[in-house]
Amino acid sequence: MSEKPRIGVYICHCGLNIASTVNVKEVVEYAKNLPDVIVSRDYVFMCSTPGQDLIKEDIEKYNLNRIVVAACSPSMHEPTFRAVLENAGLNKYLLEMANIREHCSWVHEDKTIATEKAKDLVRMAVAKARLLEPLKEPEFEVQPNVLVLGGGVAGMRAALELAHWGFNVYLVEKSPTLGGRAALIGWIESKRRGSDIVNAMIKGIAQNPRIHVFTNSELVNLSGFVGNFTARINVNPRYVNEKCTLCGECSLECPIDVVNEYEFGLGRRKAIFIPFKGAYPQTYVIDYRVCVKCGECLKACRYGAIDLNDKPKTLDVKVGAVVIATGYDPYRPFMGEYGYGLHEGIITLFQLERILDPEGPTHGELIIGGKVPKSIAFIMCVGSRNTTPNAKNYCSRMCCTSTIMNAIRIKEKYPDTDIFIIYKDIMTYSSDERLYEEAGKRLIKFIKFEEPPTVSVGPEGLFVNVYEITLQEEIRIPVDAIVLSVGMIPRRDLPDLITVTRVGCGTDGFIREAHLKLRPVEAPASGIFLAGAVTGPKNIIESIKMGSAAAARVTALLSKGRITVEPLTATSDKDICSGCEVCVGVCPYGAISMTEMDGKRIARVEETLCMGCGACVAACPSGAMQQKGFKDSQIMAQVVASLGGV
Amino acid sequence: MSFEPKIVVFACNWCTYAALDLAGTSRMKYPANFRVIRVMCSGRIDPQFVLEAFKQGADGVIVAGCHPGDCHYINGNMKTLRRMTMLRKMLEDLGIEKERFRLEWISASEATKWVQVAKEMVEQIKALGPLKSKLEVMV
Repeated sequence: MSEKPRIGVYICHCGLNIASTVNVKEVVEYAKNLPDVIVSRDYVFMCSTPGQDLIKEDIEKYNLNRIVVAACSPSMHEPTFRAVLENAGLNKYLLEMANIREHCSWVHEDKTIATEKAKDLVRMAVAKARLLEPLKEPEFEVQPNVLVLGGGVAGMRAALELAHWGFNVYLVEKSPTLGGRAALIGWIESKRRGSDIVNAMIKGIAQNPRIHVFTNSELVNLSGFVGNFTARINVNPRYVNEKCTLCGECSLECPIDVVNEYEFGLGRRKAIFIPFKGAYPQTYVIDYRVCVKCGECLKACRYGAIDLNDKPKTLDVKVGAVVIATGYDPYRPFMGEYGYGLHEGIITLFQLERILDPEGPTHGELIIGGKVPKSIAFIMCVGSRNTTPNAKNYCSRMCCTSTIMNAIRIKEKYPDTDIFIIYKDIMTYSSDERLYEEAGKRLIKFIKFEEPPTVSVGPEGLFVNVYEITLQEEIRIPVDAIVLSVGMIPRRDLPDLITVTRVGCGTDGFIREAHLKLRPVEAPASGIFLAGAVTGPKNIIESIKMGSAAAARVTALLSKGRITVEPLTATSDKDICSGCEVCVGVCPYGAISMTEMDGKRIARVEETLCMGCGACVAACPSGAMQQKGFKDSQIMAQVVASLGGV
Repeated sequence: MSFEPKIVVFACNWCTYAALDLAGTSRMKYPANFRVIRVMCSGRIDPQFVLEAFKQGADGVIVAGCHPGDCHYINGNMKTLRRMTMLRKMLEDLGIEKERFRLEWISASEATKWVQVAKEMVEQIKALGPLKSKLEVMV
């Protein structure tokens, strides 16, 4: 660019977030003396409207053509400040940010040292800004299709909303049925069952021609980019087709007998089975992982619904966006944790939910370990809140409410049952507090612990031992049954999905949203959205809301039919390129091809395919290949500036 | 004043830069000796950048990206691995101690790993002393 750089430098206080560690005024004065800097200012919140206006006015007043904002991470407010440049009539890529908050004021304590580092970071940003060039964003058509992973409440809600807005939805569920955990255990308030909501959603999905359901299926590869992904889905065989009448004869003949995961291990099932009454598709299914293809079911079936020659299929679908709503796993106590596995009277909260379910293994009768307990102790925070060395450090959010709700349901049906809730803290947030009050009225006894209780299993029965903090003594409670209120943990297979979708996860193992307040329900990777407990513990209502929110974000992205993307692509200088072809082999996207120009073979980058990694630039021996926004000269200028040069 | 090494970090946008952001939002503390240059992928990092940093007076350089298999750009970090392995041999020939150059895989969630690497590197380079004086002797 021939125009001489005229740079404005803007240093943000971020309230006290930056200003308490960095001497902002000193940095402002320092920046004034850097080359090509016309104006340097500070403001308490640069991202606020007055802060933005300040930059805009300066651009007009001083005829600035490059802007440096020293504030938070570019992942936070780069879009904000780019919009300011755009509003002021400048190309938005003439902005460079210096990250003096996350990389400086928040990680250092010494004010002098932090101030010196902030000056360096501003100098580096100015050095790069001097060499910035205006860039034009490429525009693409987008696929009006969406991939939704997970057929639980969050995924189904998202699918329904997206179909409503006119998108085709591929709803991919790993298990043989839609419904997710809410179909098995959910309650919304103490009267409405999760399965009622699930059934209503399933009905909507079954009737909607825009929603294509794939059960027993999983995403194995995701290529492409926002607006134009190609998703490879493996569809495992169900072996049973829609001729199935649910007569159940096949299941009676099946010799394979395995633990029923849909009862959380309480019962057993056959290899050919129906996961639960309202399962969708409404057919029996053969568990392809355990079936030995003996053919007994085939003989039993009078409707020709079974085809053991069914094969796994792989299909590629083109989608504009992906919604990940794959949910969670219940925490599974290890053998002996609070006596789990040592006595049949010790169960988890999820198992209790099944026992109290009219369609569960005991048809809703409270039978634990073969008998109706006269007394039950609930132990809270199992697997959550650091109660044991094995436990997660977070709160699982739904277990307090769920435990109390179940305790009340037991009291309603079996008023004489003695119930003890042994807790660390009770967090029945929002309107669930009513349940806590009601539990008190129903004489459910709450015992607070500081040190986790212990369980003794002996010939004389079950005992919970806990140090009662108001009595200040150890008490020993004899009970007939113990329910462990286990929390929610990331699904065991989530790391595989994270690898395939390249979204990254937090320290707790759940997928992290790009920003809880500024970019909720978005994954850090563009075009991928999140819903439900895949981001951390959520209850049914929250998951459904998040499904709607994710659908709204997808709609906003795809509704215009075209999108623009960051223009950080590679380009080859035809005058320098020697046609060595090194770049062609390096490109992971096949975006570079050789072409004839003026009688010379040179490399040409297909901009719509280039993702902007810059690997070809680093490989180019002649310097012909450059990445927009990350040119050799720009990075070298930063290197020199980082070590004190200008 | 005691010797404070100057260390240049080339970090990829998706993993390591985000890990440093996370260290910030988590208010972790680490030494202030690092100046970070952001690139979209560690595969963009030309070994010449590293050489230039040493030439300009860096006492250490870190090249960092996503773990192998986790690259946002499919396999950019594998190209980094190959290039930096070659570069390391070259640095050896130039007499630059191996502790002064590190290739690290730090994912977006591994803020603690970054802090550990940062502390370790500062310790090691402090023990080695400044590079510049040595380079002058060589020249």
